[in-house]
Amino acid sequence: MSWLSRAGARLVPAERRDWAEAVWAEAQEVPPGWPRLAWRAGGVRLIAREGQMVCRIGTLLLFTAAAGAAAWAAWPGPASHAAMVRADIIGAVLLLAGLPLLSRWLLGPPGNRMARWLRVGCYAANLALMPTWAAIRLFLGSVPRGGHDLHTFHVFQAPGIPGTSVGDAHPKNAVWLLIITACGLAAILALTARRTRVAPATLAIGAGAGLVLGGVMFAVDPLGFDTYVTAPWLHGTMTDPVPAGRAQWLAALCWILLFGAPLAAGLLAGWRCRVPGTPGQVSAARAWQGVAAGLVSNGVGALFVTVLGTATTALLLRSARVRGLLYHGQHLTASAVYGRELFASQSVGRYLLLCLAFPVIGALMGVFGAGAVNGLASPQPDGGRPPGPPSPPGPAPLPDPPDGRLAEAGAGQDRLPGRYGDGDGEGDQSPPGLVGAGLGRLP
Amino acid sequence: MSRVTSRPEFSAQTLSVLAALSEQPSQWQHGYALAKQTGLKSGTLYPILIRLSDRGLVEACWQAEPQPGRPRRHLYRLTAGGLASATGALAASAQQQPSGRQAAAAGARDARQPSGHGVAVPVVR
Repeated sequence: MSWLSRAGARLVPAERRDWAEAVWAEAQEVPPGWPRLAWRAGGVRLIAREGQMVCRIGTLLLFTAAAGAAAWAAWPGPASHAAMVRADIIGAVLLLAGLPLLSRWLLGPPGNRMARWLRVGCYAANLALMPTWAAIRLFLGSVPRGGHDLHTFHVFQAPGIPGTSVGDAHPKNAVWLLIITACGLAAILALTARRTRVAPATLAIGAGAGLVLGGVMFAVDPLGFDTYVTAPWLHGTMTDPVPAGRAQWLAALCWILLFGAPLAAGLLAGWRCRVPGTPGQVSAARAWQGVAAGLVSNGVGALFVTVLGTATTALLLRSARVRGLLYHGQHLTASAVYGRELFASQSVGRYLLLCLAFPVIGALMGVFGAGAVNGLASPQPDGGRPPGPPSPPGPAPLPDPPDGRLAEAGAGQDRLPGRYGDGDGEGDQSPPGLVGAGLGRLP
Repeated sequence: MSRVTSRPEFSAQTLSVLAALSEQPSQWQHGYALAKQTGLKSGTLYPILIRLSDRGLVEACWQAEPQPGRPRRHLYRLTAGGLASATGALAASAQQQPSGRQAAAAGARDARQPSGHGVAVPVVR
Protein backbone atom coordinates (compact mmCIF):
# COMPACT_ATOMS: atom_id res chain seq x y z
CA MET A 1 0.00 0.00 0.00
CA SER A 2 2.94 2.32 0.59
CA TRP A 3 3.85 2.38 -3.10
CA LEU A 4 0.25 3.28 -3.84
CA SER A 5 0.40 6.15 -1.37
CA ARG A 6 3.63 7.40 -2.86
CA ALA A 7 2.20 7.14 -6.37
CA GLY A 8 -0.95 8.95 -5.28
CA ALA A 9 1.04 11.68 -3.57
CA ARG A 10 2.96 12.28 -6.81
CA LEU A 11 -0.29 13.47 -8.38
CA VAL A 12 -0.52 16.27 -5.84
CA PRO A 13 1.52 19.49 -6.14
CA ALA A 14 4.81 19.33 -4.23
CA GLU A 15 3.64 21.69 -1.48
CA ARG A 16 0.70 19.40 -0.73
CA ARG A 17 2.44 16.03 -0.83
CA ASP A 18 3.01 15.94 2.91
CA TRP A 19 -0.71 16.10 3.48
CA ALA A 20 -1.48 13.30 1.08
CA GLU A 21 1.18 11.11 2.68
CA ALA A 22 -0.14 12.06 6.13
CA VAL A 23 -3.57 10.61 5.39
CA TRP A 24 -2.06 7.34 4.21
CA ALA A 25 0.31 7.13 7.19
CA GLU A 26 -2.54 7.80 9.60
CA ALA A 27 -4.56 4.98 8.05
CA GLN A 28 -2.38 2.53 10.01
CA GLU A 29 -3.96 3.86 13.22
CA VAL A 30 -7.53 3.37 12.03
CA PRO A 31 -9.17 0.05 12.91
CA PRO A 32 -8.95 -2.38 10.01
CA GLY A 33 -11.98 -3.13 7.88
CA TRP A 34 -14.52 -0.59 6.74
CA PRO A 35 -13.24 2.29 8.89
CA ARG A 36 -9.75 2.02 7.41
CA LEU A 37 -11.17 1.66 3.92
CA ALA A 38 -13.30 4.76 4.47
CA TRP A 39 -10.25 6.61 5.76
CA ARG A 40 -8.26 5.68 2.66
CA ALA A 41 -11.19 6.68 0.46
CA GLY A 42 -10.96 10.09 2.09
CA GLY A 43 -7.28 10.13 1.18
CA VAL A 44 -8.12 9.40 -2.44
CA ARG A 45 -10.65 12.22 -2.32
CA LEU A 46 -8.00 14.54 -0.92
CA ILE A 47 -5.57 13.59 -3.68
CA ALA A 48 -8.26 14.11 -6.31
CA ARG A 49 -9.13 17.48 -4.85
CA GLU A 50 -5.64 18.82 -4.25
CA GLY A 51 -4.31 17.41 -7.50
CA GLN A 52 -7.20 19.06 -9.37
CA MET A 53 -7.87 15.69 -10.86
CA VAL A 54 -11.42 16.51 -11.89
CA CYS A 55 -10.19 19.50 -13.83
CA ARG A 56 -7.33 17.53 -15.37
CA ILE A 57 -9.49 14.57 -16.33
CA GLY A 58 -12.14 16.92 -17.72
CA THR A 59 -9.55 18.71 -19.83
CA LEU A 60 -8.14 15.41 -21.05
CA LEU A 61 -11.60 14.10 -21.97
CA LEU A 62 -12.49 17.35 -23.73
CA PHE A 63 -9.27 17.32 -25.72
CA THR A 64 -9.69 13.64 -26.59
CA ALA A 65 -13.23 14.23 -27.78
CA ALA A 66 -12.30 17.31 -29.81
CA ALA A 67 -9.19 15.73 -31.33
CA GLY A 68 -11.13 12.55 -32.10
CA ALA A 69 -13.91 14.50 -33.80
CA ALA A 70 -11.40 16.56 -35.81
CA ALA A 71 -9.46 13.45 -36.86
CA TRP A 72 -12.67 11.63 -37.76
CA ALA A 73 -13.83 14.56 -39.88
CA ALA A 74 -10.41 14.84 -41.54
CA TRP A 75 -9.76 11.12 -42.04
CA PRO A 76 -9.59 10.55 -45.81
CA GLY A 77 -11.07 7.75 -47.87
CA PRO A 78 -9.05 5.41 -50.09
CA ALA A 79 -7.35 8.04 -52.25
CA SER A 80 -3.83 7.52 -53.56
CA HIS A 81 -2.34 10.15 -51.27
CA ALA A 82 -4.58 9.42 -48.30
CA ALA A 83 -1.70 7.84 -46.41
CA MET A 84 0.14 11.14 -46.28
CA VAL A 85 -2.95 13.02 -45.11
CA ARG A 86 -3.43 10.38 -42.41
CA ALA A 87 0.19 10.73 -41.34
CA ASP A 88 -0.32 14.49 -41.06
CA ILE A 89 -3.42 14.05 -38.93
CA ILE A 90 -1.65 11.67 -36.59
CA GLY A 91 1.36 13.98 -36.43
CA ALA A 92 -0.81 16.99 -35.60
CA VAL A 93 -2.65 15.11 -32.85
CA LEU A 94 0.64 13.91 -31.36
CA LEU A 95 1.98 17.46 -31.39
CA LEU A 96 -1.15 18.81 -29.75
CA ALA A 97 -1.02 16.14 -27.07
CA GLY A 98 2.73 16.06 -26.45
CA LEU A 99 3.82 19.69 -26.53
CA PRO A 100 1.80 20.79 -23.48
CA LEU A 101 3.46 18.04 -21.43
CA LEU A 102 6.88 19.21 -22.56
CA SER A 103 5.94 22.82 -21.88
CA ARG A 104 4.65 21.98 -18.40
CA TRP A 105 7.85 20.15 -17.61
CA LEU A 106 10.12 22.93 -18.86
CA LEU A 107 8.17 26.11 -18.14
CA GLY A 108 5.42 25.17 -15.73
CA PRO A 109 1.64 25.18 -16.04
CA PRO A 110 -0.41 28.06 -17.48
CA GLY A 111 0.23 31.19 -15.50
CA ASN A 112 -3.30 32.54 -15.25
CA ARG A 113 -6.83 32.31 -16.54
CA MET A 114 -6.15 34.41 -19.64
CA ALA A 115 -3.29 32.09 -20.52
CA ARG A 116 -5.63 29.12 -20.26
CA TRP A 117 -8.20 30.73 -22.52
CA LEU A 118 -5.55 31.60 -25.06
CA ARG A 119 -4.38 27.99 -25.09
CA VAL A 120 -7.92 26.73 -25.50
CA GLY A 121 -8.48 29.09 -28.44
CA CYS A 122 -5.21 28.08 -30.05
CA TYR A 123 -6.03 24.40 -29.67
CA ALA A 124 -9.51 24.86 -31.07
CA ALA A 125 -8.01 26.66 -34.07
CA ASN A 126 -5.46 23.94 -34.71
CA LEU A 127 -8.08 21.22 -34.42
CA ALA A 128 -10.34 23.10 -36.80
CA LEU A 129 -7.49 23.29 -39.30
CA MET A 130 -7.15 19.49 -39.48
CA PRO A 131 -10.33 18.66 -41.43
CA THR A 132 -10.16 21.79 -43.55
CA TRP A 133 -6.60 21.14 -44.71
CA ALA A 134 -7.43 17.49 -45.38
CA ALA A 135 -10.46 18.42 -47.49
CA ILE A 136 -8.47 20.93 -49.53
CA ARG A 137 -5.55 18.59 -50.12
CA LEU A 138 -7.82 15.77 -51.22
CA PHE A 139 -9.58 18.13 -53.63
CA LEU A 140 -6.29 19.32 -55.11
CA GLY A 141 -5.23 15.74 -55.82
CA SER A 142 -8.51 14.61 -57.39
CA VAL A 143 -8.63 14.65 -61.19
CA PRO A 144 -12.02 15.73 -62.64
CA ARG A 145 -13.88 13.25 -64.78
CA GLY A 146 -13.86 15.36 -67.92
CA GLY A 147 -14.90 18.55 -69.67
CA HIS A 148 -13.49 21.98 -68.97
CA ASP A 149 -12.71 20.99 -65.41
CA LEU A 150 -10.28 18.33 -66.60
CA HIS A 151 -8.64 20.81 -68.93
CA THR A 152 -8.31 23.37 -66.14
CA PHE A 153 -6.89 20.72 -63.85
CA HIS A 154 -4.29 19.71 -66.40
CA VAL A 155 -3.28 23.32 -66.91
CA PHE A 156 -2.97 24.28 -63.24
CA GLN A 157 -2.22 21.05 -61.42
CA ALA A 158 -0.78 18.04 -63.24
CA PRO A 159 -1.66 15.42 -65.82
CA GLY A 160 -3.75 12.53 -64.58
CA ILE A 161 -6.32 9.91 -65.41
CA PRO A 162 -9.85 11.37 -65.19
CA GLY A 163 -11.73 10.39 -62.07
CA THR A 164 -8.64 9.25 -60.17
CA SER A 165 -6.22 10.84 -57.74
CA VAL A 166 -2.79 12.11 -58.73
CA GLY A 167 -1.46 12.32 -55.22
CA ASP A 168 -0.52 15.32 -53.16
CA ALA A 169 0.13 18.21 -55.53
CA HIS A 170 2.06 20.13 -52.89
CA PRO A 171 3.60 17.60 -50.49
CA LYS A 172 5.95 20.22 -49.06
CA ASN A 173 2.95 22.10 -47.71
CA ALA A 174 2.12 19.16 -45.48
CA VAL A 175 5.58 19.15 -43.93
CA TRP A 176 5.55 22.92 -43.55
CA LEU A 177 2.14 22.73 -41.94
CA LEU A 178 3.47 20.37 -39.27
CA ILE A 179 6.59 22.45 -38.68
CA ILE A 180 4.61 25.69 -38.42
CA THR A 181 2.03 24.04 -36.18
CA ALA A 182 4.81 22.85 -33.86
CA CYS A 183 6.50 26.27 -33.78
CA GLY A 184 3.24 28.15 -33.26
CA LEU A 185 2.09 25.82 -30.51
CA ALA A 186 5.47 25.96 -28.80
CA ALA A 187 5.41 29.77 -28.88
CA ILE A 188 1.90 30.00 -27.47
CA LEU A 189 2.59 27.39 -24.79
CA ALA A 190 5.78 29.18 -23.78
CA LEU A 191 4.17 32.62 -23.66
CA THR A 192 1.32 31.34 -21.53
CA ALA A 193 3.47 29.31 -19.13
CA ARG A 194 4.01 30.52 -15.60
CA ARG A 195 7.78 30.80 -15.72
CA THR A 196 7.85 33.14 -18.72
CA ARG A 197 5.88 35.66 -16.64
CA VAL A 198 3.81 37.28 -19.33
CA ALA A 199 1.14 39.38 -17.65
CA PRO A 200 -2.52 38.44 -18.29
CA ALA A 201 -3.13 41.98 -19.53
CA THR A 202 -0.37 41.57 -22.12
CA LEU A 203 -1.96 38.36 -23.40
CA ALA A 204 -5.39 40.00 -23.51
CA ILE A 205 -4.07 43.05 -25.37
CA GLY A 206 -2.20 40.89 -27.86
CA ALA A 207 -5.11 38.54 -28.45
CA GLY A 208 -7.52 41.44 -28.95
CA ALA A 209 -5.25 43.16 -31.45
CA GLY A 210 -4.72 39.84 -33.23
CA LEU A 211 -8.44 39.17 -33.59
CA VAL A 212 -8.92 42.61 -35.18
CA LEU A 213 -6.01 42.00 -37.55
CA GLY A 214 -7.25 38.52 -38.47
CA GLY A 215 -10.81 39.73 -38.98
CA VAL A 216 -9.76 42.48 -41.40
CA MET A 217 -7.42 40.11 -43.22
CA PHE A 218 -10.25 37.64 -43.65
CA ALA A 219 -12.52 40.35 -45.04
CA VAL A 220 -9.89 40.97 -47.73
CA ASP A 221 -8.67 37.42 -48.40
CA PRO A 222 -11.31 34.88 -47.38
CA LEU A 223 -10.51 32.47 -50.21
CA GLY A 224 -6.80 31.93 -50.02
CA PHE A 225 -4.09 34.49 -49.48
CA ASP A 226 -2.95 36.10 -52.70
CA THR A 227 -1.29 39.24 -53.96
CA TYR A 228 -4.71 40.70 -54.68
CA VAL A 229 -8.01 40.64 -52.92
CA THR A 230 -9.90 37.35 -53.08
CA ALA A 231 -13.13 38.42 -51.40
CA PRO A 232 -16.13 37.75 -53.66
CA TRP A 233 -18.13 40.39 -51.81
CA LEU A 234 -15.76 43.25 -52.64
CA HIS A 235 -15.86 45.13 -55.90
CA GLY A 236 -13.07 44.39 -58.34
CA THR A 237 -11.91 41.17 -56.80
CA MET A 238 -10.95 37.98 -58.67
CA THR A 239 -10.75 39.82 -61.97
CA ASP A 240 -8.91 43.01 -61.23
CA PRO A 241 -5.43 42.73 -59.73
CA VAL A 242 -5.70 46.32 -58.47
CA PRO A 243 -8.22 46.56 -55.64
CA ALA A 244 -10.67 49.39 -55.86
CA GLY A 245 -13.19 51.04 -53.58
CA ARG A 246 -13.72 49.34 -50.24
CA ALA A 247 -11.30 46.60 -51.18
CA GLN A 248 -8.58 49.18 -51.62
CA TRP A 249 -9.23 50.66 -48.20
CA LEU A 250 -9.44 47.28 -46.55
CA ALA A 251 -6.17 46.20 -48.15
CA ALA A 252 -4.56 49.41 -46.87
CA LEU A 253 -6.03 48.75 -43.43
CA CYS A 254 -4.51 45.26 -43.48
CA TRP A 255 -1.05 46.69 -44.02
CA ILE A 256 -1.59 49.30 -41.33
CA LEU A 257 -2.80 46.68 -38.87
CA LEU A 258 -0.01 44.26 -39.74
CA PHE A 259 2.52 46.73 -38.38
CA GLY A 260 0.29 48.95 -36.27
CA ALA A 261 -1.53 46.30 -34.20
CA PRO A 262 1.62 44.75 -32.68
CA LEU A 263 3.15 48.21 -32.27
CA ALA A 264 0.10 49.42 -30.36
CA ALA A 265 -0.06 46.18 -28.39
CA GLY A 266 3.61 46.44 -27.46
CA LEU A 267 3.19 50.08 -26.53
CA LEU A 268 0.18 49.38 -24.37
CA ALA A 269 1.72 46.30 -22.73
CA GLY A 270 4.92 48.21 -22.00
CA TRP A 271 2.96 51.20 -20.72
CA ARG A 272 0.96 49.02 -18.34
CA CYS A 273 4.08 47.26 -17.08
CA ARG A 274 5.10 49.15 -13.96
CA VAL A 275 7.78 47.37 -12.05
CA PRO A 276 10.13 48.19 -9.26
CA GLY A 277 13.83 47.76 -9.84
CA THR A 278 16.78 49.32 -11.53
CA PRO A 279 16.22 51.16 -14.85
CA GLY A 280 17.76 48.20 -16.69
CA GLN A 281 15.37 45.74 -15.07
CA VAL A 282 12.41 47.98 -15.78
CA SER A 283 13.40 48.36 -19.43
CA ALA A 284 13.91 44.61 -19.82
CA ALA A 285 10.54 43.88 -18.23
CA ARG A 286 8.79 46.34 -20.55
CA ALA A 287 10.62 45.00 -23.60
CA TRP A 288 9.60 41.45 -22.74
CA GLN A 289 5.97 42.42 -22.31
CA GLY A 290 6.16 44.31 -25.62
CA VAL A 291 7.66 41.34 -27.47
CA ALA A 292 5.06 39.03 -25.98
CA ALA A 293 2.19 41.35 -26.92
CA GLY A 294 3.50 41.71 -30.48
CA LEU A 295 4.02 37.98 -30.88
CA VAL A 296 0.58 37.16 -29.56
CA SER A 297 -1.02 39.89 -31.64
CA ASN A 298 0.31 38.80 -35.01
CA GLY A 299 0.36 35.10 -34.13
CA VAL A 300 -3.31 35.18 -33.19
CA GLY A 301 -4.07 37.31 -36.26
CA ALA A 302 -2.34 34.88 -38.61
CA LEU A 303 -3.97 31.86 -36.98
CA PHE A 304 -7.41 33.49 -37.03
CA VAL A 305 -7.30 34.39 -40.73
CA THR A 306 -5.84 30.97 -41.58
CA VAL A 307 -8.61 29.12 -39.78
CA LEU A 308 -11.35 31.29 -41.26
CA GLY A 309 -9.81 31.25 -44.74
CA THR A 310 -9.22 27.51 -44.94
CA ALA A 311 -12.64 26.80 -43.45
CA THR A 312 -14.33 29.05 -46.03
CA THR A 313 -12.38 27.39 -48.84
CA ALA A 314 -13.19 23.90 -47.56
CA LEU A 315 -16.87 24.82 -47.32
CA LEU A 316 -16.71 26.23 -50.84
CA LEU A 317 -15.55 22.80 -52.03
CA ARG A 318 -18.06 20.79 -50.04
CA SER A 319 -21.23 22.88 -49.93
CA ALA A 320 -23.25 24.20 -52.83
CA ARG A 321 -25.11 26.43 -50.40
CA VAL A 322 -21.90 28.16 -49.33
CA ARG A 323 -20.96 28.60 -52.97
CA GLY A 324 -24.31 30.25 -53.53
CA LEU A 325 -23.77 32.58 -50.58
CA LEU A 326 -20.25 33.51 -51.60
CA TYR A 327 -21.12 34.20 -55.23
CA HIS A 328 -24.59 35.51 -54.59
CA GLY A 329 -26.11 37.04 -57.73
CA GLN A 330 -23.30 35.89 -59.98
CA HIS A 331 -24.16 33.46 -62.75
CA LEU A 332 -21.13 31.24 -62.89
CA THR A 333 -20.76 28.19 -65.08
CA ALA A 334 -19.71 24.92 -63.52
CA SER A 335 -16.30 25.33 -65.09
CA ALA A 336 -15.91 28.83 -63.62
CA VAL A 337 -16.86 27.54 -60.19
CA TYR A 338 -14.30 24.76 -60.51
CA GLY A 339 -11.65 27.26 -61.54
CA ARG A 340 -12.35 29.40 -58.48
CA GLU A 341 -12.31 26.38 -56.20
CA LEU A 342 -8.98 25.35 -57.66
CA PHE A 343 -7.58 28.87 -57.33
CA ALA A 344 -8.76 29.23 -53.73
CA SER A 345 -7.39 25.81 -52.78
CA GLN A 346 -4.01 26.57 -54.28
CA SER A 347 -3.84 29.95 -52.53
CA VAL A 348 -4.67 28.49 -49.14
CA GLY A 349 -1.11 27.19 -48.80
CA ARG A 350 0.10 30.77 -48.69
CA TYR A 351 -1.59 31.29 -45.35
CA LEU A 352 1.35 29.31 -44.04
CA LEU A 353 3.58 32.22 -45.03
CA LEU A 354 1.45 34.46 -42.87
CA CYS A 355 1.83 32.13 -39.92
CA LEU A 356 5.60 32.28 -40.32
CA ALA A 357 6.12 35.95 -41.15
CA PHE A 358 3.48 37.65 -39.03
CA PRO A 359 4.83 36.64 -35.60
CA VAL A 360 8.33 37.78 -36.59
CA ILE A 361 6.95 41.17 -37.64
CA GLY A 362 4.86 41.24 -34.48
CA ALA A 363 7.85 40.60 -32.21
CA LEU A 364 9.85 43.35 -33.88
CA MET A 365 7.02 45.87 -33.71
CA GLY A 366 6.31 44.89 -30.12
CA VAL A 367 9.92 45.70 -29.23
CA PHE A 368 9.57 49.07 -30.92
CA GLY A 369 6.37 49.75 -29.00
CA ALA A 370 7.92 48.85 -25.66
CA GLY A 371 11.04 50.78 -26.65
CA ALA A 372 8.94 53.86 -27.21
CA VAL A 373 7.58 53.51 -23.68
CA ASN A 374 11.12 53.10 -22.36
CA GLY A 375 12.13 56.22 -24.25
CA LEU A 376 9.30 58.20 -22.73
CA ALA A 377 10.05 56.77 -19.31
CA SER A 378 13.75 57.62 -19.32
CA PRO A 379 14.83 59.81 -16.39
CA GLN A 380 13.52 63.31 -16.86
CA PRO A 381 15.43 66.31 -15.68
CA ASP A 382 12.35 67.83 -14.12
CA GLY A 383 11.68 64.65 -12.19
CA GLY A 384 8.47 64.01 -14.09
CA ARG A 385 6.38 60.96 -13.47
CA PRO A 386 7.04 57.99 -15.79
CA PRO A 387 4.21 56.88 -18.07
CA GLY A 388 1.74 54.31 -16.91
CA PRO A 389 -1.67 54.03 -15.35
CA PRO A 390 -2.31 56.62 -12.68
CA SER A 391 -1.18 55.28 -9.36
CA PRO A 392 -3.26 55.64 -6.23
CA PRO A 393 -2.39 58.55 -4.00
CA GLY A 394 0.37 57.70 -1.59
CA PRO A 395 0.10 57.87 2.15
CA ALA A 396 -0.12 61.28 3.72
CA PRO A 397 3.22 62.59 4.95
CA LEU A 398 3.81 61.96 8.58
CA PRO A 399 3.77 65.07 10.74
CA ASP A 400 7.02 66.03 12.34
CA PRO A 401 7.29 64.66 15.83
CA PRO A 402 6.98 67.20 18.59
CA ASP A 403 10.56 66.69 19.71
CA GLY A 404 11.81 67.99 16.40
CA ARG A 405 13.40 64.71 15.16
CA LEU A 406 12.64 63.56 11.63
CA ALA A 407 10.28 60.63 11.25
CA GLU A 408 11.85 57.31 10.34
CA ALA A 409 12.01 56.77 6.61
CA GLY A 410 9.24 54.47 5.44
CA ALA A 411 7.44 54.54 8.75
CA GLY A 412 3.74 54.10 8.46
CA GLN A 413 3.91 52.88 4.88
CA ASP A 414 2.41 49.54 4.06
CA ARG A 415 4.51 46.99 2.28
CA LEU A 416 3.57 46.73 -1.36
CA PRO A 417 2.14 43.38 -2.34
CA GLY A 418 4.44 41.26 -4.48
CA ARG A 419 2.02 38.97 -6.22
CA TYR A 420 2.24 37.61 -9.72
CA GLY A 421 -0.65 36.27 -11.74
CA ASP A 422 -4.26 37.22 -12.03
CA GLY A 423 -5.38 36.52 -8.56
CA ASP A 424 -6.95 33.17 -9.26
CA GLY A 425 -4.83 31.49 -6.68
CA GLU A 426 -2.14 30.26 -9.00
CA GLY A 427 0.11 33.24 -9.05
CA ASP A 428 3.79 32.71 -8.43
CA GLN A 429 4.86 34.01 -5.07
CA SER A 430 8.55 34.16 -5.89
CA PRO A 431 10.38 37.47 -5.63
CA PRO A 432 10.50 39.84 -8.60
CA GLY A 433 12.62 38.58 -11.42
CA LEU A 434 14.28 40.47 -14.22
CA VAL A 435 11.39 40.47 -16.58
CA GLY A 436 8.37 39.82 -14.45
CA ALA A 437 8.94 42.00 -11.48
CA GLY A 438 5.80 43.53 -10.11
CA LEU A 439 3.54 42.22 -12.84
CA GLY A 440 1.03 41.25 -10.24
CA ARG A 441 0.16 44.86 -9.85
CA LEU A 442 -1.10 44.92 -13.39
CA PRO A 443 -4.86 45.01 -13.40
CA MET B 1 -33.76 45.83 -2.23
CA SER B 2 -31.21 43.11 -1.82
CA ARG B 3 -30.52 41.82 1.63
CA VAL B 4 -26.90 41.66 2.61
CA THR B 5 -25.91 38.91 5.02
CA SER B 6 -22.49 38.65 6.58
CA ARG B 7 -20.64 35.42 5.84
CA PRO B 8 -19.12 33.69 8.85
CA GLU B 9 -15.36 33.42 8.85
CA PHE B 10 -15.32 29.67 9.46
CA SER B 11 -17.68 26.90 8.50
CA ALA B 12 -19.26 24.68 11.13
CA GLN B 13 -16.82 21.88 10.34
CA THR B 14 -13.84 24.21 10.57
CA LEU B 15 -15.13 25.48 13.90
CA SER B 16 -15.33 21.94 15.18
CA VAL B 17 -11.70 21.33 14.15
CA LEU B 18 -10.62 24.58 15.78
CA ALA B 19 -12.51 23.61 18.91
CA ALA B 20 -10.79 20.22 19.02
CA LEU B 21 -7.38 21.75 18.50
CA SER B 22 -7.95 24.47 21.06
CA GLU B 23 -8.83 22.01 23.81
CA GLN B 24 -5.12 21.38 24.31
CA PRO B 25 -3.46 24.07 22.26
CA SER B 26 0.09 23.26 23.27
CA GLN B 27 -0.22 19.56 22.46
CA TRP B 28 0.46 18.08 19.03
CA GLN B 29 -2.50 16.07 17.81
CA HIS B 30 -2.92 13.33 15.22
CA GLY B 31 -5.32 13.37 12.33
CA TYR B 32 -7.18 10.27 13.49
CA ALA B 33 -7.62 11.71 16.99
CA LEU B 34 -9.02 14.91 15.50
CA ALA B 35 -11.31 12.89 13.25
CA LYS B 36 -12.65 11.00 16.24
CA GLN B 37 -13.15 14.20 18.24
CA THR B 38 -14.93 16.07 15.46
CA GLY B 39 -16.68 13.17 13.76
CA LEU B 40 -15.33 14.32 10.41
CA LYS B 41 -14.14 11.94 7.73
CA SER B 42 -10.57 12.13 6.49
CA GLY B 43 -11.69 13.58 3.14
CA THR B 44 -13.24 16.53 4.99
CA LEU B 45 -10.82 16.90 7.89
CA TYR B 46 -7.58 17.13 5.93
CA PRO B 47 -8.69 19.84 3.46
CA ILE B 48 -9.75 21.89 6.50
CA LEU B 49 -6.35 21.37 8.11
CA ILE B 50 -4.65 22.33 4.85
CA ARG B 51 -6.61 25.60 4.60
CA LEU B 52 -5.94 26.41 8.24
CA SER B 53 -2.25 25.70 7.71
CA ASP B 54 -2.22 27.91 4.60
CA ARG B 55 -3.66 30.74 6.67
CA GLY B 56 -1.03 30.24 9.33
CA LEU B 57 -3.54 29.18 11.97
CA VAL B 58 -2.28 25.62 12.27
CA GLU B 59 1.26 24.32 12.23
CA ALA B 60 2.12 20.79 11.16
CA CYS B 61 5.15 18.58 11.52
CA TRP B 62 6.15 14.96 11.17
CA GLN B 63 6.60 12.76 14.21
CA ALA B 64 10.28 12.72 15.18
CA GLU B 65 10.40 9.18 16.57
CA PRO B 66 7.90 6.88 14.94
CA GLN B 67 6.77 3.67 16.58
CA PRO B 68 8.64 0.62 15.26
CA GLY B 69 6.91 -0.88 12.24
CA ARG B 70 4.64 2.13 11.86
CA PRO B 71 5.01 5.04 9.47
CA ARG B 72 5.69 8.48 10.86
CA ARG B 73 2.56 10.43 11.77
CA HIS B 74 1.71 13.98 10.86
CA LEU B 75 1.03 16.18 13.88
CA TYR B 76 -0.97 19.39 14.21
CA ARG B 77 -1.50 22.18 16.67
CA LEU B 78 -2.71 25.76 16.68
CA THR B 79 -0.27 28.60 16.25
CA ALA B 80 -0.49 31.63 18.54
CA GLY B 81 -2.45 33.45 15.86
CA GLY B 82 -4.58 30.37 15.30
CA LEU B 83 -5.41 30.15 18.97
CA ALA B 84 -6.48 33.79 19.02
CA SER B 85 -8.60 33.32 15.89
CA ALA B 86 -10.11 30.13 17.25
CA THR B 87 -10.96 31.77 20.55
CA GLY B 88 -12.63 34.68 18.80
CA ALA B 89 -14.48 32.54 16.30
CA LEU B 90 -15.73 30.08 18.90
CA ALA B 91 -16.83 32.89 21.19
CA ALA B 92 -18.64 34.58 18.32
CA SER B 93 -20.24 31.28 17.38
CA ALA B 94 -21.37 30.72 20.95
CA GLN B 95 -22.93 34.19 21.07
CA GLN B 96 -25.00 33.59 17.95
CA GLN B 97 -27.51 31.50 19.85
CA PRO B 98 -29.11 29.32 18.82
CA SER B 99 -28.09 29.36 15.18
CA GLY B 100 -24.34 29.36 15.68
CA ARG B 101 -24.43 26.55 18.17
CA GLN B 102 -26.69 24.48 15.98
CA ALA B 103 -24.47 25.02 12.99
CA ALA B 104 -21.39 24.02 14.93
CA ALA B 105 -23.23 21.04 16.30
CA ALA B 106 -24.46 19.98 12.88
CA GLY B 107 -20.94 20.25 11.52
CA ALA B 108 -19.43 18.35 14.37
CA ARG B 109 -21.78 15.36 14.05
CA ASP B 110 -20.48 13.90 17.22
CA ALA B 111 -21.06 10.18 17.28
CA ARG B 112 -21.85 10.31 20.96
CA GLN B 113 -24.77 12.65 20.30
CA PRO B 114 -26.49 11.48 17.14
CA SER B 115 -29.10 14.21 17.21
CA GLY B 116 -26.41 16.82 16.72
CA HIS B 117 -28.05 19.28 19.11
CA GLY B 118 -26.72 20.56 22.34
CA VAL B 119 -23.02 20.16 21.59
CA ALA B 120 -21.35 22.76 23.71
CA VAL B 121 -18.49 24.68 22.17
CA PRO B 122 -15.45 23.73 24.22
CA VAL B 123 -14.07 26.35 26.51
CA VAL B 124 -10.68 27.54 25.41
CA ARG B 125 -8.14 27.30 28.15
